[in-house]
Amino acid sequence: MSSGYKPDILWSPHHADRYVICDTELSLYRIGPAGSPETKAGTLPLSEETAATLLAINSDTPYMKCVAWYPKHEPECLLAVGQANGRVVLTSLGQSHNSKCKELVGKEFVPKHARQCNTLAWNPVDSNWLAAGLDKHRADFSVLIWDISSKFSPESVPAEKARLSGDVDSGLLVTKPLYELGQNDACLSLCWLPRDHQKLLLAGMHRNLAIFDLRNTSQKTFVNTKAIQGVTVDPHFPDRVASFFEGQVAIWDLRKFEKPVFTLTEQPKPLTKVAWCPTRMGLLATLTRDSNIIRLYDMQHTPMPFGDEVEPTIIERSVQPCSESIISSFAWHPSAQNRMVVVSPNRVMNDFTVFERISLAWSSTTSLMWACGRHLYECTEDGGQGAAAADKDIATKMRERAQSHYGHDTVQVWRNHVLAGGDDPQLRSLWYTLHFMKQYTENLEQKQQSNKQSLIYSGIKNIVKSSSGTTETRRCWSGSDRQTDVPRYHSEERSLALQLCGWISRGPDIDVEPFLKSLEQEGEWERAAAVALFNLDIRRAIQILNKGASAEKGDLNLNVVAMALSGYTDEKNSLWREMCSSLRLQLKKAHLCIMFAFLTSEPGAFDAVLYESRVAVRDRVAFACMFLNDTQLPRYIDKLTYEMKEAGNLEGILLTGLTKDGVDLMESYVDRTGDVQTASFCMLKGSPGEVLKDPRVQCWIENYRNLLDAWRFWHKRAEFDIHRSKLDPSSKPLPQVFVSCNFCGKSISYSCSAIPHQGRGFSQYGVSGSPTKSKVTSCPGCRKPLPRCALCLMNMGTPVSSCPGTGKADEKADLTRDKKLAQFNNWFTWCHNCRHGGHAGHMLSWFRDHSECPVSACTCKCMQLDTTGNLVPSDSA
Amino acid sequence: MDLHILDHKLRVTSISKTGLQQYTHPLIKLIFLRNRTRCKFFSLTETPENYTVVLDEEGFKELQPSEHLQVEGSTWLPLNVVSNGNASSSSQAVGVTKIAKSVIAPLAEQHVSVFMLSTYQTDFILVREKDLSVVVGTLVEEFNIFREEGGESVPVHSQDACNGLQRNGREVPHATVHPVLIPKNQFCVMSLDPDTLPAIATTLIDVLFYSNSPKEGASVDQDMECIKFFSFSLIDGYVSLVMDTEAQRQFPADLLFTSSSGELWRMARIGGQPLGFDECGIVAQISQPLADSDISAYYISTFSFDHALVPEEDIVSVTEMLQAQRKDIPS
Repeated sequence: MSSGYKPDILWSPHHADRYVICDTELSLYRIGPAGSPETKAGTLPLSEETAATLLAINSDTPYMKCVAWYPKHEPECLLAVGQANGRVVLTSLGQSHNSKCKELVGKEFVPKHARQCNTLAWNPVDSNWLAAGLDKHRADFSVLIWDISSKFSPESVPAEKARLSGDVDSGLLVTKPLYELGQNDACLSLCWLPRDHQKLLLAGMHRNLAIFDLRNTSQKTFVNTKAIQGVTVDPHFPDRVASFFEGQVAIWDLRKFEKPVFTLTEQPKPLTKVAWCPTRMGLLATLTRDSNIIRLYDMQHTPMPFGDEVEPTIIERSVQPCSESIISSFAWHPSAQNRMVVVSPNRVMNDFTVFERISLAWSSTTSLMWACGRHLYECTEDGGQGAAAADKDIATKMRERAQSHYGHDTVQVWRNHVLAGGDDPQLRSLWYTLHFMKQYTENLEQKQQSNKQSLIYSGIKNIVKSSSGTTETRRCWSGSDRQTDVPRYHSEERSLALQLCGWISRGPDIDVEPFLKSLEQEGEWERAAAVALFNLDIRRAIQILNKGASAEKGDLNLNVVAMALSGYTDEKNSLWREMCSSLRLQLKKAHLCIMFAFLTSEPGAFDAVLYESRVAVRDRVAFACMFLNDTQLPRYIDKLTYEMKEAGNLEGILLTGLTKDGVDLMESYVDRTGDVQTASFCMLKGSPGEVLKDPRVQCWIENYRNLLDAWRFWHKRAEFDIHRSKLDPSSKPLPQVFVSCNFCGKSISYSCSAIPHQGRGFSQYGVSGSPTKSKVTSCPGCRKPLPRCALCLMNMGTPVSSCPGTGKADEKADLTRDKKLAQFNNWFTWCHNCRHGGHAGHMLSWFRDHSECPVSACTCKCMQLDTTGNLVPSDSA
Repeated sequence: MDLHILDHKLRVTSISKTGLQQYTHPLIKLIFLRNRTRCKFFSLTETPENYTVVLDEEGFKELQPSEHLQVEGSTWLPLNVVSNGNASSSSQAVGVTKIAKSVIAPLAEQHVSVFMLSTYQTDFILVREKDLSVVVGTLVEEFNIFREEGGESVPVHSQDACNGLQRNGREVPHATVHPVLIPKNQFCVMSLDPDTLPAIATTLIDVLFYSNSPKEGASVDQDMECIKFFSFSLIDGYVSLVMDTEAQRQFPADLLFTSSSGELWRMARIGGQPLGFDECGIVAQISQPLADSDISAYYISTFSFDHALVPEEDIVSVTEMLQAQRKDIPS
């Protein structure tokens, strides 16, 4: 017959390496590292690192129902065992015979009426006291508190009557309990309250939880509930108690004992054990019958006391300590964090540590922090100068770029890529595109041709679509009279596209010479040669290559390429063609490669050039505009646009322009990089209205502003806002604060605009001596004086429309910027709480040394009310 | 004091000795296979006449109707008195004695028929479901009454019951005093850890179902004076056993538990012929004088007769008391 006992497990309260498994007998184990020299043959592996050694077995106490370990250091390893007949026996494990607990071991505490002992608890302070919770008996108490040091009862059971109680060995029997509680009810679980060791929390059959105070046992506080099993006090929170009933756990706050503060989600199967983690705040582990998982409830962030109006924040998760077997019981380790041992019904044990949830936080400045258990880890970027730009986090890049005024150069737009670090080809392409667009618009403005203006910002894709009247020419190779068999296409739109690509500057005449010169200057020999070749000037191409080879650090191989180039023949079956078309693939430089591809391809079939992804989009597009016909060209552009959009490649802005397509492209770029900065600045350049209304664009802009705020780059934020409001007048914020005159109630700044008029009005009546100029310290509306500064006692007032120009030399630099504004030091400031205030400068210096309001008898701590008042911007003004 | 109306709807049945074999399967299932049945209230009492089985409707489904099964027609509800712990009266007596004055007597006055079932743990007072309003109306003065429904205790108020008060108020001629039989055997009231039920299964089956087979060493003389009485109940997970000392010797000593004083009880069987279920005041008749003398008593009603258990040392005075009572009433 299989025994009905499922093994339970108990950690020693003081020896972190010992625990007891109890089923039909008690077995003491020691836990140690696996594979250590002292490991003997009999050890049981508990985990990869640990193993258990059986130290002792005690089978003296049959019919065990519950076990409790003596809480004090001495005598160690003393256990109280509650039996099915209600007797409580003290026993010990693995102790030598002369140990201190010798006289206690074997002592039995016998209730008047035999019934099952359900639970045992040692008093944490008065460790002689042992509370036993028994089943119900008609006339007996269900909670007996025994004093283990009490002498044997004088009125020991008469031998004649003891015939039914089993043994007559009554020498160690104690029958008189110290206290008796809970008549007419069973006690299913109990615990001592750590706040007051005289108080005991009992859970009875009649669906109530009751708190008894041993100093006055006739009084009790009680509450009716079904959750009467397994009452246990949170070791980190003496007012928090968990109890359960079937599948439901109730959490109680003893200070609000009327009802559970909350109940946890009900489990389909009945619970068998609920235990607070002793090493981690607010972590409750629960186990249900026949289950192989332990469910954990993290109440760390649940406020106590707990209000009715909020939902509790409880994080629920489950762990599976051993994959197959079901769990019979578990026990938290008393000191090792989040560690437990679980035992299966067939006594297979597992040492297990619950992995703590990791909470992670990014800072706005690239560093990453995460917390796991009691450890806090920080990961910061290697900020050394040596760090390659490409490896830097986008946040670092954006910070650096913000500091170098990236995006703010509205005159030489292309320079922005230099401000961005100048090492990103996509940004370079983007800013050049925007530059060319702007340049073209400006040219148009001079010519009063505004109908094309919107077209230019809509990208080459839309430009070529509108193309009409294409002409086809067949030119000779320059410097030779051989006719090429390559047709070249011209139209107004195509030349506009070429302008955007930067190949030609303006006008209908196609002169790439300035562009070639600039490329030569930058040392882009191969690119220049390719551009020259595509303009059917082999001689120029060869010349460029020669120049490149002879330049400083030049590549001598360029000469070889030039030689190969000079051998060009249009003979279809020549050896040159054959060799070039196969060997070109081995060329490492993409531009050289496409040059030979161009020379060896059939007319109209330039895929080797058009789809050479190593070549910049603008060059390929320019090439396409020259050599693809009206049906091929839009198809190619569409295809390329689609690729660019998919990849989020900023070079594609050339094709999409700042249209909805462009926003789509930018969206995938932002998705890929997170670079809201570039996205914001780029989209602000769009023609007014259209793209800026797109919610995505607004989102990028707002995020970029938030980012600047988070970095405390408030000046940068302000600069950005100014920049933005210039380009997008609709974004200009409405005034949010007005200063109104105490006398006439008009806004003093609003009235400013009316000064000349009013002044004239007054002068008509001859009231004022100076009709056109009123004092800044009086209300422009009613001319009454404005309030006084609390510190200098001067009337406040800021010249709004006139230059503050006190003429100090050091301020001159700022004059351009501050032309229309008064100096900050003279600004109105006031506390929203006490309404006192004065000149901003005075207030700032006052609060540098004081915390209270400068007005006497006002105790307002104005500056402390301002949470951001003590923050310092991290960008210098 | 609280009175709980428990959440069980009970049927009182009797299985004749000859028909027992038809019912061994459901009985063994109800006793030993707790996980296979949803029956929460089960009591089986063997008397020389028959087997009385009191069980809830879940358990009742297991019993196939036959000529050997007699079923009392009504549904019975168990009541239970909870003394709240702090009402530790001066009386040291236990059992029906404690509730004789507060429950049994008032119900008898209102002519409510009760069926008593004492166990090791407590005393159940079974009343007919139709009498409930009268019961509540009668006892609401003395008790806080709670009705248990789905695990919750719901307070019951008297206004639910005020019209029912008159119903049983009909005047009935004063109850007859029944003859009392006092057998010689000593009884003990015991309990058992339900988990150890399997360990005593064979003994229990033997004692319950094979008690009629002749036993070695049991003399014929003794049988005349002793009465066969064995009660087993399994109610809400609690086991209670009432048996005589002879039967008790067949069980392993360390498994059954009882009071540390190990007291023994003598029985008074009430009724010369089967009592039926309608007569009122029988329990009151016995418990009243016991309460007056502060003598503990258990009381177990069966299908035919009622049985009171009183402490061994008090049997003489109880016998005298009951005989005096018989003489007092003019027949």
